[in-house]
Amino acid sequence: MRRGAAFSFLALSLAALLVSPTDASARRTKKKKASGRSRTVSAPSFDPRLPILGTKLAEFPAGPAKAVADQACLACHSVDIVAQQRLTEKQWGAELTKMAGWGADFPADRREELLGYLVKNFGPDAAPWEPVVTRPAGR
Amino acid sequence: MKNTPENVTDVLSIDRRRFLALAGAAALVPGAALAALTDSIPVARRRMLQRNGYAIDAETPLDALTTYVTPNDLFFVRHHWNPQYAGHKGWSLTVDGEVERPLRITAQDLRRLPRTTVTCVLQCAGNGRGLFQPFVPGVQWKYGAVGNARWTGVRVRDLLEQAGMKAGGRHLHTFGSDKPPVRTPPFHRSVEIEKVLADAIVADEMNGEPLPALHGGPARLVVPGWAGEHWTKWLERLSVAPEAQKGFYMETAYRYPKVLGAPGVPVPPAETRPVTELFVKSNVTEVPARARVGAPAMLRGFAFSGTPDVGRVEVSDDDGQSWQPADLDPQHDPWAWRLWSFRWSPKAAGRMTLHVRATDSAGTVQPREGAWNPSGYLYNGWHSASIEVEA
Repeated sequence: MRRGAAFSFLALSLAALLVSPTDASARRTKKKKASGRSRTVSAPSFDPRLPILGTKLAEFPAGPAKAVADQACLACHSVDIVAQQRLTEKQWGAELTKMAGWGADFPADRREELLGYLVKNFGPDAAPWEPVVTRPAGR
Repeated sequence: MKNTPENVTDVLSIDRRRFLALAGAAALVPGAALAALTDSIPVARRRMLQRNGYAIDAETPLDALTTYVTPNDLFFVRHHWNPQYAGHKGWSLTVDGEVERPLRITAQDLRRLPRTTVTCVLQCAGNGRGLFQPFVPGVQWKYGAVGNARWTGVRVRDLLEQAGMKAGGRHLHTFGSDKPPVRTPPFHRSVEIEKVLADAIVADEMNGEPLPALHGGPARLVVPGWAGEHWTKWLERLSVAPEAQKGFYMETAYRYPKVLGAPGVPVPPAETRPVTELFVKSNVTEVPARARVGAPAMLRGFAFSGTPDVGRVEVSDDDGQSWQPADLDPQHDPWAWRLWSFRWSPKAAGRMTLHVRATDSAGTVQPREGAWNPSGYLYNGWHSASIEVEA
């Protein structure tokens, strides 16, 4: 996830340029003010303290199999989609088989360890997972 | 193709550039274009719930789904993989397969063809998956992988007429530009030709703005009343064929049991059918946390179905023994949602649970429980609200 941290930094730097607190609606109002059509200054249309969608990334929980999980999962998707599951050992086993077929990169001799790690951390009785609250996006 | 946050910021940056261009245009033509950029949702509610950082999956909090048209920036996002985004300049749409004259249509061509606007619901097939017990794998959507938008573009029927569809065409295969990583199967889908000819469109505008890249821009398929997996994003090819598309996302995923079984029990593929029409459903979006005996409390929400309209929405304060009608907002379009409101007069103090159910224009009533199915599709159990009533 060192790479992820680097991306987060990059994303935050870009954030200042892309969706800074002076968001588009505020800029529009400034334009109108300049042309004399409006004197109101609008606030950002979202809380600028919220992270940008897709930039706040969690880590897998600590454990001997964390490195295996990192290598197997994170080339294609973030930790979120794993961490929100609450699956039985049988269901996690089926997921591992599917993902291995789709190219998830983990050594065959560490499959059982990875399976145990997923069941322990993301089994049916694990604590509820909460989504990350982010800014609106996609306009 | 890498699925990384870099791609995410690429996509956001493309949307921002296009938005600024549009905002510039809007400044020259105040009115309709500008109105599309504003909405009545308070700043504190304007946020998204990220369920996957990459590829992006994010749902809208219910308290932001209070308007007839869901703003683009609050509309749920569902990506299987990060898109390979071509941008408008290099983009084209190929129409081929069982046609006399294959077409290659640019973004400019699309704007010159006869245009139509459809206002309708887009819901992810898996919306509500996170509410099923026992748990099923997949994005654990709760309530907000749904929205209602004005989609503008060109009827697929017109494109197929122009291309001269042959008599043997029964299915429209759809291809987007998002490419799966490693050995993940491609997201190849098809839609039955009857539905395509009836009302599908290739949309390049969403709520009066260029279709955002996050939502499939430059263009996506719109299939009113059918679940989101048919609404192919980053559309680049439509191909007419005698048979339905094959592959994981047709033959394994997006399938529903022909006959519902016991919760938790797997269903063999041969005993499933494709997920198509949405199920009738209503949700509560605004409800006071507290109320007082004798003082009316207002509840609001939306309701929709895979049939063209909603017939009624009802509220029960006695665990479904009796139902009182909610008021339906007059604004509606076929396959759009109906906003509703209900004025409830609490009769006794204590913690009260209100249930809401919708009935669609075909008379189908929303059930108490969402029907468990192995992939967690189309949850539509009664939505409930809890209110503390003071004496």
